[in-house]
Amino acid sequence: MKITRRDFLKTSLITGAALTAGSGLAVFERYAFAEKEEFLGPLPDIDVGGIIRPPGALPERQFRSKCISCGVCVNVCHVMKYDAIAVAGVQDIRNFGAPYIKDMRDFPCGLCMECPKHCPTGALKKIEKENVAMGMALIDFGLCFGWNGDVCLSCSKACPLGAHVFDFYSGEWGNQPYINEKCVGCGLCVKYCPLGGSAIKVVTKRQYETFRSSYVSEFRQLLSMAHEERYAVVYGQNLPQIMARGRLVEREYR
Amino acid sequence: MNTDKDSQRSDSKDVIARSNSDEAISKDGISHSAQNNNRKMKLSKLRRFVLLGIIVLFLLQFLRIKVLVGGLTGSLAVWFVKLIDVFAYFESLIASMDFTITALFAVLPIAVIYLVFGRAFCGWVCPMDFLFEVVDKIRGDRQWTMDDRIKRISPKVGYVILFGLLVVSGLISIPFFTNYISHLTNFFRFLTGSVFIALNLPAEPAVLAFSGGMIFLLLGFEYFFPRLWCRVLCPVGKTYGLFNKISLLKLKFTEGECGECNLCENMCYMNVRITPYIDRPSLRDVNCIYCGRCVEGCETKGRLIKMKIGGLK
Repeated sequence: MKITRRDFLKTSLITGAALTAGSGLAVFERYAFAEKEEFLGPLPDIDVGGIIRPPGALPERQFRSKCISCGVCVNVCHVMKYDAIAVAGVQDIRNFGAPYIKDMRDFPCGLCMECPKHCPTGALKKIEKENVAMGMALIDFGLCFGWNGDVCLSCSKACPLGAHVFDFYSGEWGNQPYINEKCVGCGLCVKYCPLGGSAIKVVTKRQYETFRSSYVSEFRQLLSMAHEERYAVVYGQNLPQIMARGRLVEREYR
Repeated sequence: MNTDKDSQRSDSKDVIARSNSDEAISKDGISHSAQNNNRKMKLSKLRRFVLLGIIVLFLLQFLRIKVLVGGLTGSLAVWFVKLIDVFAYFESLIASMDFTITALFAVLPIAVIYLVFGRAFCGWVCPMDFLFEVVDKIRGDRQWTMDDRIKRISPKVGYVILFGLLVVSGLISIPFFTNYISHLTNFFRFLTGSVFIALNLPAEPAVLAFSGGMIFLLLGFEYFFPRLWCRVLCPVGKTYGLFNKISLLKLKFTEGECGECNLCENMCYMNVRITPYIDRPSLRDVNCIYCGRCVEGCETKGRLIKMKIGGLK
Protein backbone atom coordinates (compact mmCIF):
# COMPACT_ATOMS: atom_id res chain seq x y z
CA MET A 1 0.00 0.00 0.00
CA LYS A 2 1.32 3.36 -0.96
CA ILE A 3 0.83 6.20 1.44
CA THR A 4 0.25 9.44 -0.42
CA ARG A 5 1.03 12.79 1.01
CA ARG A 6 -2.65 13.59 1.38
CA ASP A 7 -3.27 10.38 3.27
CA PHE A 8 -0.39 11.18 5.53
CA LEU A 9 -1.68 14.69 6.13
CA LYS A 10 -5.17 13.41 6.85
CA THR A 11 -3.94 10.75 9.25
CA SER A 12 -1.67 13.14 11.07
CA LEU A 13 -4.48 15.69 11.29
CA ILE A 14 -6.91 13.15 12.71
CA THR A 15 -4.28 11.94 15.17
CA GLY A 16 -3.57 15.53 16.15
CA ALA A 17 -7.27 16.23 16.66
CA ALA A 18 -7.68 13.08 18.73
CA LEU A 19 -4.69 13.99 20.88
CA THR A 20 -6.01 17.51 21.38
CA ALA A 21 -9.44 16.22 22.32
CA GLY A 22 -7.89 13.69 24.70
CA SER A 23 -5.74 16.24 26.46
CA GLY A 24 -8.71 18.60 26.53
CA LEU A 25 -10.76 15.95 28.30
CA ALA A 26 -7.96 15.33 30.76
CA VAL A 27 -7.79 19.06 31.51
CA PHE A 28 -11.57 19.22 31.90
CA GLU A 29 -11.48 16.34 34.33
CA ARG A 30 -8.77 18.02 36.30
CA TYR A 31 -10.85 21.17 36.50
CA ALA A 32 -14.16 19.52 37.23
CA PHE A 33 -12.86 17.39 40.07
CA ALA A 34 -10.19 19.72 41.36
CA GLU A 35 -9.97 19.97 45.12
CA LYS A 36 -11.41 23.24 46.27
CA GLU A 37 -11.60 24.74 49.72
CA GLU A 38 -15.17 23.88 50.54
CA PHE A 39 -15.90 26.86 52.80
CA LEU A 40 -17.89 29.93 52.07
CA GLY A 41 -15.47 32.79 51.49
CA PRO A 42 -15.06 35.70 53.90
CA LEU A 43 -17.74 38.43 53.90
CA PRO A 44 -20.15 36.35 51.81
CA ASP A 45 -22.80 39.07 51.56
CA ILE A 46 -20.44 41.61 50.05
CA ASP A 47 -20.01 41.43 46.27
CA VAL A 48 -16.61 42.04 44.66
CA GLY A 49 -18.31 44.68 42.53
CA GLY A 50 -16.98 44.01 39.06
CA ILE A 51 -13.53 42.73 38.30
CA ILE A 52 -10.16 43.58 39.78
CA ARG A 53 -7.87 45.09 37.18
CA PRO A 54 -4.08 44.74 37.06
CA PRO A 55 -2.16 47.52 38.81
CA GLY A 56 -1.98 50.89 37.14
CA ALA A 57 -5.18 50.43 35.14
CA LEU A 58 -6.86 53.57 33.88
CA PRO A 59 -10.46 54.27 34.99
CA GLU A 60 -12.69 51.40 33.89
CA ARG A 61 -14.21 52.94 30.73
CA GLN A 62 -10.93 54.37 29.49
CA PHE A 63 -9.15 51.12 30.24
CA ARG A 64 -11.66 49.10 28.28
CA SER A 65 -11.43 51.36 25.25
CA LYS A 66 -7.66 51.10 25.15
CA CYS A 67 -7.04 47.44 25.91
CA ILE A 68 -6.60 45.34 22.77
CA SER A 69 -6.36 41.99 24.57
CA CYS A 70 -2.85 41.38 23.31
CA GLY A 71 -1.86 39.36 26.36
CA VAL A 72 1.37 41.19 27.21
CA CYS A 73 0.35 41.74 30.83
CA VAL A 74 -0.79 38.12 31.20
CA ASN A 75 2.50 36.79 29.92
CA VAL A 76 4.64 39.37 31.69
CA CYS A 77 2.96 38.24 34.90
CA HIS A 78 3.76 34.64 33.98
CA VAL A 79 7.38 35.49 33.28
CA MET A 80 7.59 37.28 36.64
CA LYS A 81 6.28 34.04 38.23
CA TYR A 82 3.15 35.56 39.77
CA ASP A 83 0.64 34.24 37.22
CA ALA A 84 -2.00 36.52 38.70
CA ILE A 85 -3.54 37.94 35.55
CA ALA A 86 -6.10 36.03 33.53
CA VAL A 87 -8.31 37.12 30.66
CA ALA A 88 -12.00 37.68 31.37
CA GLY A 89 -14.42 35.22 29.82
CA VAL A 90 -17.67 35.43 27.91
CA GLN A 91 -19.93 35.77 30.94
CA ASP A 92 -19.09 39.47 30.89
CA ILE A 93 -19.19 40.22 27.19
CA ARG A 94 -18.11 43.83 27.51
CA ASN A 95 -15.00 42.88 29.42
CA PHE A 96 -14.29 39.85 27.29
CA GLY A 97 -10.62 39.55 26.56
CA ALA A 98 -9.55 42.18 29.07
CA PRO A 99 -7.15 41.22 31.87
CA TYR A 100 -8.16 40.83 35.50
CA ILE A 101 -6.86 39.22 38.67
CA LYS A 102 -8.76 35.97 38.79
CA ASP A 103 -7.79 33.98 41.82
CA MET A 104 -6.33 35.95 44.72
CA ARG A 105 -6.40 33.01 47.09
CA ASP A 106 -3.71 31.24 45.07
CA PHE A 107 -2.35 33.81 42.63
CA PRO A 108 -2.33 37.34 44.04
CA CYS A 109 -0.63 40.29 42.41
CA GLY A 110 2.91 40.76 43.68
CA LEU A 111 3.01 44.49 42.88
CA CYS A 112 6.21 44.01 40.88
CA MET A 113 4.88 46.79 38.63
CA GLU A 114 6.19 45.16 35.47
CA CYS A 115 2.88 44.94 33.60
CA PRO A 116 2.12 48.69 33.62
CA LYS A 117 5.69 49.30 32.56
CA HIS A 118 5.29 47.04 29.53
CA CYS A 119 1.69 47.58 28.41
CA PRO A 120 2.01 48.64 24.77
CA THR A 121 -1.36 50.41 24.54
CA GLY A 122 -1.09 52.63 27.58
CA ALA A 123 -4.19 51.03 29.16
CA LEU A 124 -2.00 50.30 32.17
CA LYS A 125 -0.12 53.37 33.28
CA LYS A 126 3.21 53.31 35.02
CA ILE A 127 2.71 54.52 38.60
CA GLU A 128 4.19 54.10 42.04
CA LYS A 129 3.25 51.04 44.10
CA GLU A 130 1.58 53.18 46.75
CA ASN A 131 -0.76 54.84 44.24
CA VAL A 132 -2.13 51.63 42.77
CA ALA A 133 -5.91 51.30 43.16
CA MET A 134 -6.77 47.75 42.20
CA GLY A 135 -9.17 47.29 45.06
CA MET A 136 -9.54 47.30 48.81
CA ALA A 137 -8.83 44.37 51.11
CA LEU A 138 -11.40 43.84 53.87
CA ILE A 139 -10.89 41.68 56.93
CA ASP A 140 -13.84 39.55 58.00
CA PHE A 141 -13.76 40.32 61.75
CA GLY A 142 -15.80 37.22 62.42
CA LEU A 143 -13.18 34.92 60.92
CA CYS A 144 -9.86 36.65 61.58
CA PHE A 145 -7.65 34.99 64.22
CA GLY A 146 -6.33 38.37 65.30
CA TRP A 147 -9.83 39.58 66.13
CA ASN A 148 -10.75 36.44 68.01
CA GLY A 149 -8.21 36.00 70.75
CA ASP A 150 -5.10 35.05 68.79
CA VAL A 151 -1.97 36.84 67.68
CA CYS A 152 -1.57 36.25 63.98
CA LEU A 153 0.45 38.61 61.81
CA SER A 154 0.33 36.68 58.56
CA CYS A 155 -1.51 39.32 56.53
CA SER A 156 0.66 42.22 57.67
CA LYS A 157 3.82 40.24 57.02
CA ALA A 158 2.65 39.38 53.51
CA CYS A 159 1.67 42.97 52.69
CA PRO A 160 4.14 44.68 50.33
CA LEU A 161 3.25 48.04 51.85
CA GLY A 162 3.40 46.89 55.47
CA ALA A 163 2.93 49.58 58.11
CA HIS A 164 1.73 52.00 55.46
CA VAL A 165 -1.49 50.02 55.28
CA PHE A 166 -1.87 48.01 58.48
CA ASP A 167 -3.12 49.43 61.76
CA PHE A 168 -3.14 47.31 64.90
CA TYR A 169 -5.56 47.75 67.77
CA SER A 170 -3.92 45.25 70.12
CA GLY A 171 -5.91 44.30 73.16
CA GLU A 172 -7.04 41.35 75.17
CA TRP A 173 -8.96 40.00 72.17
CA GLY A 174 -5.89 39.65 70.00
CA ASN A 175 -3.69 41.95 67.95
CA GLN A 176 -6.75 43.08 65.94
CA PRO A 177 -5.36 44.08 62.55
CA TYR A 178 -7.18 46.65 60.45
CA ILE A 179 -6.45 47.49 56.83
CA ASN A 180 -6.82 51.21 56.24
CA GLU A 181 -7.87 52.94 53.05
CA LYS A 182 -4.35 53.21 51.68
CA CYS A 183 -4.67 49.55 50.74
CA VAL A 184 -4.03 49.01 47.01
CA GLY A 185 -5.80 45.64 46.75
CA CYS A 186 -2.97 43.41 45.57
CA GLY A 187 -4.37 40.41 47.48
CA LEU A 188 -1.13 39.05 48.97
CA CYS A 189 -2.79 39.03 52.41
CA VAL A 190 -5.64 36.94 50.96
CA LYS A 191 -3.17 34.29 49.90
CA TYR A 192 -1.18 34.16 53.13
CA CYS A 193 -4.13 34.10 55.53
CA PRO A 194 -3.76 30.72 57.28
CA LEU A 195 -7.51 30.27 57.79
CA GLY A 196 -9.23 27.80 55.54
CA GLY A 197 -10.82 29.82 52.74
CA SER A 198 -9.05 33.01 53.91
CA ALA A 199 -10.50 35.71 56.17
CA ILE A 200 -9.77 38.60 53.79
CA LYS A 201 -11.67 39.62 50.69
CA VAL A 202 -10.64 42.16 48.08
CA VAL A 203 -13.40 44.27 46.54
CA THR A 204 -13.15 47.09 44.01
CA LYS A 205 -12.66 50.60 45.33
CA ARG A 206 -16.02 51.66 43.91
CA GLN A 207 -17.81 48.82 45.67
CA TYR A 208 -16.05 49.71 48.92
CA GLU A 209 -17.44 53.25 48.76
CA THR A 210 -20.99 51.88 48.80
CA PHE A 211 -20.70 50.09 52.13
CA ARG A 212 -17.80 51.88 53.71
CA SER A 213 -19.88 53.44 56.49
CA SER A 214 -21.39 50.14 57.62
CA TYR A 215 -18.00 48.40 57.54
CA VAL A 216 -16.28 51.15 59.53
CA SER A 217 -19.11 51.29 62.07
CA GLU A 218 -18.90 47.51 62.55
CA PHE A 219 -15.18 47.93 63.22
CA ARG A 220 -15.73 50.77 65.73
CA GLN A 221 -18.50 48.87 67.44
CA LEU A 222 -16.27 45.83 67.93
CA LEU A 223 -13.54 47.97 69.46
CA SER A 224 -15.87 49.72 71.89
CA MET A 225 -17.76 46.57 72.90
CA ALA A 226 -18.01 45.65 76.55
CA HIS A 227 -16.13 42.57 77.73
CA GLU A 228 -19.17 40.33 78.24
CA GLU A 229 -20.67 41.25 74.90
CA ARG A 230 -17.43 40.62 73.09
CA TYR A 231 -17.05 37.30 74.92
CA ALA A 232 -20.44 36.24 73.66
CA VAL A 233 -19.58 37.25 70.08
CA VAL A 234 -16.18 35.54 70.07
CA TYR A 235 -17.10 32.32 71.85
CA GLY A 236 -20.70 32.14 70.71
CA GLN A 237 -20.47 32.99 67.02
CA ASN A 238 -16.95 33.36 65.70
CA LEU A 239 -14.92 30.55 67.21
CA PRO A 240 -17.28 27.77 66.08
CA GLN A 241 -17.04 29.13 62.52
CA ILE A 242 -13.26 29.33 62.73
CA MET A 243 -12.97 25.86 64.21
CA ALA A 244 -15.12 24.50 61.40
CA ARG A 245 -12.78 25.96 58.80
CA GLY A 246 -9.69 24.88 60.60
CA ARG A 247 -6.29 26.40 60.60
CA LEU A 248 -4.79 25.04 57.44
CA VAL A 249 -1.18 25.21 58.50
CA GLU A 250 -0.40 22.47 56.05
CA ARG A 251 -1.96 24.38 53.16
CA GLU A 252 0.22 24.05 50.15
CA TYR A 253 1.17 27.44 48.82
CA ARG A 254 1.44 27.44 45.06
CA MET B 1 27.24 31.98 -20.73
CA ASN B 2 25.45 31.70 -24.06
CA THR B 3 24.93 28.01 -23.81
CA ASP B 4 23.56 28.45 -20.35
CA LYS B 5 21.00 30.93 -21.59
CA ASP B 6 20.12 28.70 -24.49
CA SER B 7 19.56 25.73 -22.32
CA GLN B 8 17.35 27.76 -20.06
CA ARG B 9 15.36 29.03 -22.97
CA SER B 10 14.79 25.56 -24.32
CA ASP B 11 13.86 24.53 -20.84
CA SER B 12 11.24 27.24 -20.65
CA LYS B 13 9.80 26.28 -24.02
CA ASP B 14 9.57 22.79 -22.74
CA VAL B 15 7.52 24.00 -19.80
CA ILE B 16 5.15 25.93 -22.02
CA ALA B 17 4.73 22.91 -24.21
CA ARG B 18 3.93 20.70 -21.30
CA SER B 19 1.72 23.14 -19.49
CA ASN B 20 -1.49 22.71 -21.37
CA SER B 21 -3.55 21.45 -18.47
CA ASP B 22 -3.77 23.42 -15.24
CA GLU B 23 -2.56 20.47 -13.25
CA ALA B 24 0.68 20.33 -15.18
CA ILE B 25 1.31 24.01 -14.68
CA SER B 26 1.49 24.02 -10.95
CA LYS B 27 3.30 20.73 -10.66
CA ASP B 28 5.89 21.67 -13.21
CA GLY B 29 6.28 25.08 -11.67
CA ILE B 30 7.19 23.56 -8.34
CA SER B 31 9.52 20.85 -9.52
CA HIS B 32 11.14 23.22 -11.94
CA SER B 33 12.15 25.77 -9.36
CA ALA B 34 13.16 23.06 -6.95
CA GLN B 35 15.68 21.77 -9.44
CA ASN B 36 17.19 25.10 -10.17
CA ASN B 37 17.21 26.74 -6.80
CA ASN B 38 18.96 24.19 -4.70
CA ARG B 39 21.81 26.56 -4.01
CA LYS B 40 19.44 29.11 -2.46
CA MET B 41 16.80 28.03 -0.05
CA LYS B 42 13.39 28.07 -1.58
CA LEU B 43 11.42 31.13 -0.55
CA SER B 44 8.39 29.09 0.45
CA LYS B 45 10.58 27.01 2.72
CA LEU B 46 12.38 30.03 4.10
CA ARG B 47 9.18 31.79 5.04
CA ARG B 48 7.93 28.73 6.89
CA PHE B 49 11.17 28.77 8.86
CA VAL B 50 10.63 32.46 9.65
CA LEU B 51 7.10 31.71 10.87
CA LEU B 52 8.29 28.76 12.92
CA GLY B 53 11.06 30.87 14.40
CA ILE B 54 8.68 33.61 15.46
CA ILE B 55 6.17 31.16 16.95
CA VAL B 56 8.99 29.45 18.85
CA LEU B 57 10.17 32.82 20.17
CA PHE B 58 6.63 33.45 21.38
CA LEU B 59 6.45 29.98 22.92
CA LEU B 60 9.63 30.66 24.89
CA GLN B 61 7.64 33.07 27.06
CA PHE B 62 5.90 30.10 28.66
CA LEU B 63 9.34 28.90 29.80
CA ARG B 64 9.84 32.39 31.25
CA ILE B 65 12.38 33.40 28.63
CA LYS B 66 11.94 37.06 27.82
CA VAL B 67 12.55 37.23 24.09
CA LEU B 68 9.11 37.92 22.73
CA VAL B 69 6.33 38.29 25.26
CA GLY B 70 2.68 38.71 24.31
CA GLY B 71 1.13 38.02 20.95
CA LEU B 72 1.17 39.32 17.42
CA THR B 73 -1.33 42.11 18.16
CA GLY B 74 0.88 43.52 20.85
CA SER B 75 4.12 42.27 22.25
CA LEU B 76 7.24 43.07 24.13
CA ALA B 77 10.55 42.32 22.46
CA VAL B 78 13.57 41.50 24.63
CA TRP B 79 11.83 42.99 27.68
CA PHE B 80 12.37 46.47 26.31
CA VAL B 81 10.73 47.32 22.98
CA LYS B 82 6.95 47.49 23.02
CA LEU B 83 5.30 46.56 19.76
CA ILE B 84 1.71 46.97 18.65
CA ASP B 85 -0.06 45.97 15.48
CA VAL B 86 -0.90 48.94 13.24
CA PHE B 87 -4.61 48.20 12.87
CA ALA B 88 -4.93 47.45 16.58
CA TYR B 89 -3.28 50.78 17.28
CA PHE B 90 -5.80 52.66 15.16
CA GLU B 91 -8.70 50.77 16.69
CA SER B 92 -7.48 51.47 20.19
CA LEU B 93 -6.89 55.12 19.29
CA ILE B 94 -10.37 55.58 17.85
CA ALA B 95 -12.11 53.62 20.60
CA SER B 96 -10.46 55.64 23.36
CA MET B 97 -10.24 58.97 21.48
CA ASP B 98 -7.13 59.56 23.51
CA PHE B 99 -3.64 59.84 22.15
CA THR B 100 -0.83 58.38 24.24
CA ILE B 101 2.85 58.57 23.54
CA THR B 102 3.30 54.98 24.81
CA ALA B 103 1.16 53.52 22.07
CA LEU B 104 2.76 55.73 19.44
CA PHE B 105 6.25 54.56 20.40
CA ALA B 106 4.94 50.99 20.29
CA VAL B 107 3.53 51.33 16.79
CA LEU B 108 6.53 53.13 15.29
CA PRO B 109 8.92 50.13 15.17
CA ILE B 110 6.21 48.05 13.50
CA ALA B 111 5.48 50.82 11.01
CA VAL B 112 9.18 51.06 10.16
CA ILE B 113 9.47 47.29 9.72
CA TYR B 114 6.57 47.19 7.32
CA LEU B 115 7.61 50.33 5.49
CA VAL B 116 10.57 48.19 4.50
CA PHE B 117 8.82 44.87 3.99
CA GLY B 118 5.35 45.94 2.87
CA ARG B 119 2.66 43.33 3.40
CA ALA B 120 5.23 40.61 4.06
CA PHE B 121 3.56 40.20 7.47
CA CYS B 122 0.79 38.13 5.90
CA GLY B 123 3.04 35.76 4.04
CA TRP B 124 5.88 35.44 6.50
CA VAL B 125 4.64 36.06 10.03
CA CYS B 126 0.88 35.44 10.20
CA PRO B 127 0.22 31.94 11.58
CA MET B 128 -3.12 31.79 9.77
CA ASP B 129 -1.32 31.71 6.43
CA PHE B 130 0.19 28.38 7.39
CA LEU B 131 -3.06 27.01 8.85
CA PHE B 132 -4.92 28.08 5.72
CA GLU B 133 -2.32 26.30 3.62
CA VAL B 134 -2.99 23.12 5.59
CA VAL B 135 -6.71 23.54 4.97
CA ASP B 136 -6.00 24.07 1.28
CA LYS B 137 -4.02 20.84 1.24
CA ILE B 138 -6.88 18.96 2.88
CA ARG B 139 -9.36 20.37 0.41
CA GLY B 140 -6.98 19.34 -2.31
CA ASP B 141 -8.93 19.24 -5.55
CA ARG B 142 -9.55 22.92 -6.09
CA GLN B 143 -6.34 23.93 -4.49
CA TRP B 144 -5.52 27.19 -6.19
CA THR B 145 -8.48 27.42 -8.49
CA MET B 146 -10.90 29.69 -6.78
CA ASP B 147 -14.55 30.00 -7.48
CA ASP B 148 -15.02 32.70 -10.06
CA ARG B 149 -17.66 34.44 -8.03
CA ILE B 150 -15.35 34.65 -5.02
CA LYS B 151 -12.52 35.70 -7.26
CA ARG B 152 -14.55 38.58 -8.55
CA ILE B 153 -15.08 40.12 -5.10
CA SER B 154 -12.89 43.16 -5.18
CA PRO B 155 -10.29 43.58 -2.43
CA LYS B 156 -11.54 47.16 -2.17
CA VAL B 157 -14.55 45.79 -0.24
CA GLY B 158 -12.02 45.14 2.52
CA TYR B 159 -11.39 48.85 2.98
CA VAL B 160 -15.10 49.44 3.49
CA ILE B 161 -15.07 46.70 6.14
CA LEU B 162 -11.94 48.16 7.72
CA PHE B 163 -13.56 51.56 7.92
CA GLY B 164 -16.77 50.01 9.28
CA LEU B 165 -14.84 48.20 12.02
CA LEU B 166 -13.13 51.43 13.02
CA VAL B 167 -16.52 53.17 13.24
CA VAL B 168 -17.96 50.32 15.32
CA SER B 169 -14.95 50.50 17.65
CA GLY B 170 -15.50 54.23 18.05
CA LEU B 171 -19.20 53.78 18.76
CA ILE B 172 -18.92 51.08 21.42
CA SER B 173 -15.52 52.37 22.60
CA ILE B 174 -14.03 48.89 22.62
CA PRO B 175 -11.42 47.90 20.02
CA PHE B 176 -14.02 45.62 18.45
CA PHE B 177 -12.14 43.58 15.85
CA THR B 178 -8.96 43.16 17.85
CA ASN B 179 -10.78 42.07 20.99
CA TYR B 180 -13.37 39.69 19.62
CA ILE B 181 -12.70 38.58 16.05
CA SER B 182 -9.02 39.02 15.27
CA HIS B 183 -7.32 35.77 14.28
CA LEU B 184 -4.06 37.01 15.79
CA THR B 185 -5.53 37.80 19.19
CA ASN B 186 -7.51 34.60 19.25
CA PHE B 187 -4.59 32.48 18.14
CA PHE B 188 -2.36 33.73 20.93
CA ARG B 189 -5.20 33.79 23.46
CA PHE B 190 -5.81 30.15 22.63
CA LEU B 191 -2.12 29.36 22.96
CA THR B 192 -1.76 31.15 26.30
CA GLY B 193 -5.03 29.75 27.60
CA SER B 194 -4.21 26.16 26.76
CA VAL B 195 -0.74 26.39 28.28
CA PHE B 196 -2.10 28.02 31.44
CA ILE B 197 -4.84 25.45 31.85
CA ALA B 198 -2.38 22.63 31.26
CA LEU B 199 -0.11 24.11 33.97
CA ASN B 200 -3.14 24.64 36.25
CA LEU B 201 -2.65 28.40 36.35
CA PRO B 202 -5.61 30.80 36.46
CA ALA B 203 -7.25 31.01 33.05
CA GLU B 204 -10.82 31.08 31.80
CA PRO B 205 -11.86 27.92 29.94
CA ALA B 206 -14.56 30.07 28.31
CA VAL B 207 -11.91 32.26 26.67
CA LEU B 208 -10.12 29.16 25.44
CA ALA B 209 -13.32 27.80 23.95
CA PHE B 210 -14.21 31.12 22.31
CA SER B 211 -10.78 31.64 20.80
CA GLY B 212 -10.44 28.07 19.64
CA GLY B 213 -13.92 28.25 18.14
CA MET B 214 -13.09 31.47 16.33
CA ILE B 215 -9.94 29.98 14.80
CA PHE B 216 -11.88 26.86 13.84
CA LEU B 217 -14.59 29.02 12.26
CA LEU B 218 -11.99 30.81 10.16
CA LEU B 219 -10.51 27.51 9.06
CA GLY B 220 -13.95 26.30 8.04
CA PHE B 221 -14.49 29.57 6.20
CA GLU B 222 -11.22 28.98 4.39
CA TYR B 223 -12.36 25.51 3.37
CA PHE B 224 -15.36 26.86 1.49
CA PHE B 225 -14.09 30.30 0.45
CA PRO B 226 -10.40 29.91 -0.30
CA ARG B 227 -8.38 32.93 0.80
CA LEU B 228 -11.42 35.18 0.90
CA TRP B 229 -10.40 36.17 4.42
CA CYS B 230 -6.87 37.17 3.42
CA ARG B 231 -7.75 38.76 0.11
CA VAL B 232 -10.82 40.74 1.06
CA LEU B 233 -11.92 40.66 4.68
CA CYS B 234 -8.98 40.79 7.08
CA PRO B 235 -8.44 44.43 8.13
CA VAL B 236 -5.00 43.71 9.56
CA GLY B 237 -3.78 42.57 6.17
CA LYS B 238 -5.53 45.47 4.48
CA THR B 239 -3.66 47.91 6.70
CA TYR B 240 -0.35 46.33 5.83
CA GLY B 241 -1.50 46.32 2.19
CA LEU B 242 -1.41 50.10 2.27
CA PHE B 243 2.27 49.87 3.23
CA ASN B 244 2.79 47.96 -0.03
CA LYS B 245 2.30 51.19 -1.97
CA ILE B 246 5.43 52.77 -0.54
CA SER B 247 7.43 49.86 0.85
CA LEU B 248 11.06 49.33 -0.02
CA LEU B 249 10.46 45.65 -0.75
CA LYS B 250 8.76 45.12 -4.07
CA LEU B 251 8.49 42.71 -6.94
CA LYS B 252 10.64 43.82 -9.85
CA PHE B 253 10.54 42.65 -13.41
CA THR B 254 13.36 42.33 -15.86
CA GLU B 255 12.30 43.47 -19.30
CA GLY B 256 11.89 41.27 -22.29
CA GLU B 257 12.02 37.77 -20.97
CA CYS B 258 8.38 36.97 -20.33
CA GLY B 259 7.12 33.95 -22.17
CA GLU B 260 3.55 34.84 -21.19
CA CYS B 261 2.95 31.43 -19.73
CA ASN B 262 0.87 32.82 -16.81
CA LEU B 263 2.64 30.48 -14.39
CA CYS B 264 3.11 33.30 -11.92
CA GLU B 265 -0.58 34.17 -11.82
CA ASN B 266 -1.53 30.55 -11.47
CA MET B 267 0.78 30.17 -8.52
CA CYS B 268 -0.49 33.27 -6.76
CA TYR B 269 -3.10 32.35 -4.18
CA MET B 270 -3.81 35.98 -3.36
CA ASN B 271 -5.16 36.37 -6.89
CA VAL B 272 -2.89 39.28 -7.78
CA ARG B 273 -2.94 40.09 -11.50
CA ILE B 274 0.79 39.93 -12.10
CA THR B 275 1.01 39.97 -15.89
CA PRO B 276 -0.24 43.56 -16.38
CA TYR B 277 2.68 44.77 -14.22
CA ILE B 278 5.35 43.02 -16.23
CA ASP B 279 6.01 45.95 -18.53
CA ARG B 280 6.12 48.29 -15.57
CA PRO B 281 9.16 48.58 -13.29
CA SER B 282 7.59 47.08 -10.17
CA LEU B 283 4.47 45.56 -8.68
CA ARG B 284 2.65 47.50 -6.00
CA ASP B 285 -0.54 45.58 -5.45
CA VAL B 286 -2.21 45.79 -2.02
CA ASN B 287 -2.78 42.06 -2.05
CA CYS B 288 0.80 40.97 -2.67
CA ILE B 289 2.11 39.25 0.44
CA TYR B 290 5.62 38.53 -0.90
CA CYS B 291 5.23 34.80 -0.48
CA GLY B 292 7.52 34.29 -3.47
CA ARG B 293 5.39 31.70 -5.20
CA CYS B 294 5.39 33.70 -8.43
CA VAL B 295 9.17 33.95 -8.28
CA GLU B 296 9.41 30.20 -7.82
CA GLY B 297 6.73 29.47 -10.37
CA CYS B 298 8.18 31.66 -13.10
CA GLU B 299 9.49 29.64 -15.98
CA THR B 300 12.59 31.82 -16.14
CA LYS B 301 13.53 30.44 -12.72
CA GLY B 302 13.05 33.76 -11.05
CA ARG B 303 15.16 35.80 -13.40
CA LEU B 304 12.13 37.70 -14.63
CA ILE B 305 10.42 38.31 -11.32
CA LYS B 306 12.54 39.23 -8.35
CA MET B 307 11.96 40.49 -4.87
CA LYS B 308 14.00 43.61 -4.36
CA ILE B 309 14.57 45.85 -1.41
CA GLY B 310 14.92 49.53 -2.28
CA GLY B 311 16.65 50.69 -5.41
CA LEU B 312 19.11 47.80 -5.35
CA LYS B 313 19.33 45.91 -8.61
